[in-house]
Amino acid sequence: MRLYFQPLFLILLLVGFVFATEPAVSSLHTKIDAMIDAKLTGKIKSPLADDYEFVRRIYLDFAGKIPTATEVEAFIANKSIDKRKLLIVELANGPFYSKQMANAFHIHFMERLGENPEWLKFLEESFAKNKPWNVMAKEMLRGKNSPENANGAAFFYSKRLESYGQNPVDYSALTRDVGRLFLGKDFRCAECHDHLFIDEYKQADFKGLFAFFQNTYLADAKTGLVEEKLTLQKTEFMSVFKKEKKEVGPKVPGRPEVTIPEFKKGEEYLVPPDLKKKVKGVPKFSPLEKIAEQLPTSENSDFSRNIVNRLWYLMMGRGLVHPLDLHHLGNPPSHPELLDLLAKEFSSHQFDIRWLLIELAQTNVYQRSSKVESGKIPEFPALFATAIEKRLSAEQLLASIMIATNQKIIIESKGAKEAELQVALKAKFAKAFANPAREPEDEIAFSLKAALFLLNDDAVLALLKPEANNLIAVLQKMKPNKDLVEKAYLSVLARKPEPLEVADALEFLSKPVSAADNGIKNLVWALLASTEFCLNH
Amino acid sequence: MKNPNLCTPNDHLLSRRQWLGNAVVGATGFLTQQAFAEKLAKNDKQVLFVWLDGGMSQLESWDPKPNTTFGGPFRAIPTKVPGIHISELLPKTANHMDKLVLVRSLSTKDNSHSAGVDRIQRGDPKNRGVTYPYLGSAVSKLMGPCSSGMPPYVWIKPMSGGFITKDAGFLGPKYGAIAFGDGKAPENLLRPESISLETDLARNELREKLDRNYRLARRKENSEAVTTVFDMAAKLQKRMDLFDQSKMPAKDLQRYGESDFGRHMLQALRMLEAGVRFVKVTSYGWDTHGDNFNGHLSLVPKFDMAFASIIEDLQQRSMLDNVLVIVLSEFGRTPRINGHLGRDHWPEAWSCAMAGCGLKKGMVSGKTNSLGTEVESPPHDIGSMFHTWYKALGIDSSEIEYDNQGQPLPIANEECKILDEVIA
Repeated sequence: MRLYFQPLFLILLLVGFVFATEPAVSSLHTKIDAMIDAKLTGKIKSPLADDYEFVRRIYLDFAGKIPTATEVEAFIANKSIDKRKLLIVELANGPFYSKQMANAFHIHFMERLGENPEWLKFLEESFAKNKPWNVMAKEMLRGKNSPENANGAAFFYSKRLESYGQNPVDYSALTRDVGRLFLGKDFRCAECHDHLFIDEYKQADFKGLFAFFQNTYLADAKTGLVEEKLTLQKTEFMSVFKKEKKEVGPKVPGRPEVTIPEFKKGEEYLVPPDLKKKVKGVPKFSPLEKIAEQLPTSENSDFSRNIVNRLWYLMMGRGLVHPLDLHHLGNPPSHPELLDLLAKEFSSHQFDIRWLLIELAQTNVYQRSSKVESGKIPEFPALFATAIEKRLSAEQLLASIMIATNQKIIIESKGAKEAELQVALKAKFAKAFANPAREPEDEIAFSLKAALFLLNDDAVLALLKPEANNLIAVLQKMKPNKDLVEKAYLSVLARKPEPLEVADALEFLSKPVSAADNGIKNLVWALLASTEFCLNH
Repeated sequence: MKNPNLCTPNDHLLSRRQWLGNAVVGATGFLTQQAFAEKLAKNDKQVLFVWLDGGMSQLESWDPKPNTTFGGPFRAIPTKVPGIHISELLPKTANHMDKLVLVRSLSTKDNSHSAGVDRIQRGDPKNRGVTYPYLGSAVSKLMGPCSSGMPPYVWIKPMSGGFITKDAGFLGPKYGAIAFGDGKAPENLLRPESISLETDLARNELREKLDRNYRLARRKENSEAVTTVFDMAAKLQKRMDLFDQSKMPAKDLQRYGESDFGRHMLQALRMLEAGVRFVKVTSYGWDTHGDNFNGHLSLVPKFDMAFASIIEDLQQRSMLDNVLVIVLSEFGRTPRINGHLGRDHWPEAWSCAMAGCGLKKGMVSGKTNSLGTEVESPPHDIGSMFHTWYKALGIDSSEIEYDNQGQPLPIANEECKILDEVIA
């Protein structure tokens, strides 16, 4: 009863009253904009992107490739006031959304450790069905799609449980990855001692997570079946600084420790081991079952905060908490209330990824231009005053080059030869543009290898050969005038050229060197190799 | 003997305050101190890093012990510097001893190749759960490309080449090495015949125009980084002669020895002349567990010819004051001769050779005992050498540090001390 007299309570009551008198409940995206804008008073804020900039960006983010010239033109011609929202919703429910999201999550969660068709299928199907994130995460953390079926979701573990040569399985790396990717906390330094300058990362956090995985093993490399050995006691550990024995059972950081049940000897197994039949046995107590129950829940705020921060990063090019895996007091979010709000709303919307992405795409923050007025210096990225340029994955880049040069044969044909070609191309692009394994692709990093690939590789140059109705063939049939340049720009850069750019291109085409060696190819090449094409701006 | 230079498993020496105080988190989340960066930008010092993979025997090279239990069959010969003797397998190098510094007091930790190669080239930092960069990647990060604009870290090696990112450790893949397998150009460096030089220039000019236009209204960093990389590609492409072994003068090839290693060293000289910051040359096959003496009889003279020639050439071109030369392996070899007349792995007491770039000339630092089994003077771990090399390059390892996404990291093992006496 005394609660009524608390001043805080009175304020809350008052605030509640004020909100209640508002005519309509504002949607999440308007709240987001209000929170971002609150920090932008007196700052240089970029205007909203024009339709060309927007349409390219939303296609890359929701379909994994640039729009075709026709798609751009249709969007520009559309006079409907809410055409942006319509396109956002259309693409988020379109056929390429699940593929793009599967790729994005694959890169995020596997960090180029390896690929597996079942895993990609699991991701694609999950996104196609818009499976809630807590369910997806549960399946990944359980190491099974369903009680019977290990394929797909298990790959997150099974790849990490492979051993290479004489090196033992790196359980520490698996533990770190679960902390980083599912909780946004990199407990790396806490493996041997409490973290030295992140107070809340304790060695017990690392060891508690480690305790879930230490008895797991890869039972079948082919199917990726992950099994567990008996876990009978807590994990013992000691700091390298303070030689004092400690122990911890399986424990998700910030959550209660899992009690390891005691069984009478001989009763520990659900399926007892049978050496003759080479059955290793299935223990009654499964730590993986426990982490799958306990980690991906609305009670675990780290779980929600991590994923909304990562989804924010996917859309905005930078996490509210940045780096993405260093959530801690000393590295607060750029907009703390916003992260709280996103986490809360996401969890109360049943961890609906598509819903959140659609909300994010509707914000002004997302729809701002990446340009600033000439001569002005953009604000610090964490203010989100100007759209941040994003890296294109090797997969987005390949798909976009195919669209830009209109390689119908490869895009549409289902023939075996084309499929083979596609796989080879994909591998080449990954080699040139992807990071090596375990290097998160969270910043733009253009390498010498990538430059040389664009300059001289057969695979790139082959796309510039005139064939059927591809872009080069079509352009070659045109007269070297403004229309040709516009067609090239619209196809590759998804925008119209400025008058100066038309002049430059026409001058280029009129050079003797161009005539001798087909200027159109090189015009298109220059557009493809430009920074503008190679980034999601 | 209590040794003041030995790394001790002392708990983290740097206090939390120092770490945070020195850390500068830039917009990219990874910047070293601005002032240093600016100072280093004007610094065109270079490195030649010769890696004798498998472990060169110190007894058959820099620290011979003739006529002792473990000395083996080879004699020691006098060098150009009175009082300094090296193995008779290095007669040409002996003539250039007046330009070299030998460190005979290396005492390191790993006696396996798999761990040793990494540990030594990463400077054996304290374990903080991160993978440190190899020296070449570290120097590329700390000093960047030379004003030539050539790639900062190239690696000339037998067999295959490519873009070797693992060297970069936590610095990230862009600080990896470009490896020239058997000295040949990396994939896609050669312009296909279908594109003439003129066309290539024209198409790139148009690309640059587009990028300049793009940059006008946007954050500069990303498009500038792309431009830098394309410029680097162009610089490298202009120097295809560096990969054309047919253009190497026969006289030079003869001086360097007509071995793979000789050719690679000659190529290294050209790379240094072309303005590559850090050139690593690797020679394989030094792991002489069996027949150590015939092995070294075959390997060392090849090294001797090429090494003496490159020292001579660097000196003659007045480059030696600017180029730090380092000859190193993952460890030395056991004094004890095994049953196969071989020598095994011996990190306890071994040597390295250095020259140039503000190091003293014609001196020996440190001393092993009469049998060569242990270091008698204060021993030095590889961390000490990193501090010393950084100093020679004008990088103050006591002040400058890495910032690994907010985690400050010393650039060399903070428990090891610089080997001051070799600095001029």
